[in-house]
Amino acid sequence: MREREIVELSIPVGADLLVLARFAAATIASRAGFDLEEIDDLRLAVDELCVSLIEEGDHGRLNIELQRADDLVEISCRFTSTSEVPPNGSRPDLSEGLSDRILDALVDEHGKRQDGGHEQAWLRKRRIRQ
Amino acid sequence: MPTDVSENLRNESVIVTAVGEIDLATSPALRTRLQDAIGKHRMVIVDLSDVTFIDSTGLGVLIGGLRRVNEAGGEMRIVIADPRVLKIFEITGLTGLFSIHSSLAEATSA
Repeated sequence: MREREIVELSIPVGADLLVLARFAAATIASRAGFDLEEIDDLRLAVDELCVSLIEEGDHGRLNIELQRADDLVEISCRFTSTSEVPPNGSRPDLSEGLSDRILDALVDEHGKRQDGGHEQAWLRKRRIRQ
Repeated sequence: MPTDVSENLRNESVIVTAVGEIDLATSPALRTRLQDAIGKHRMVIVDLSDVTFIDSTGLGVLIGGLRRVNEAGGEMRIVIADPRVLKIFEITGLTGLFSIHSSLAEATSA
């Protein structure tokens, strides 16, 4: 039987709360039977997923959904801006491009899609170590 | 993530020390510390020995710092003790860009 869990988070950008997303990802990964290295990978991956949607100075909320089905973890993240002034288009110090490279190395699949007019970033990772 | 800047005048170097997790919220503090240090000292050592997590925003701050150090004719060295942190530098290819040392003693004596 396929065991399934879904965790949803909504956290404000600008506060030091991405740590909550990393904690949730680590917990989900642990429940999927990931080993310590895979758990660390998923902690960083969910962080990069969120960061890929945000520009410096952004204000708003990140809505994150973490799903576990047996040994597969899927995470999606959507950013809703509340900024009155559009961000200046700058990413923090040359980090653009690094997120994709990190995600390529750490997860099985990742990408972006449109969801209700908002950009959504997603990833999938399956336990590989027995 | 608290950051601390300590200065070693004998060797004309400055050590910028970070602890904990470097992410979107905390990397601006590291950037500020680096900007203050660069230009005042020829050698800048970024001690990440007690850093347990770093993401692309933190890496971007370090890349920007390295660029400014090079433009100023100086040198930057990074200390990494946690293999999880070193892994991020490896998968992004940044081990070929930075001078990375496994201890502060090694970085200051090299």
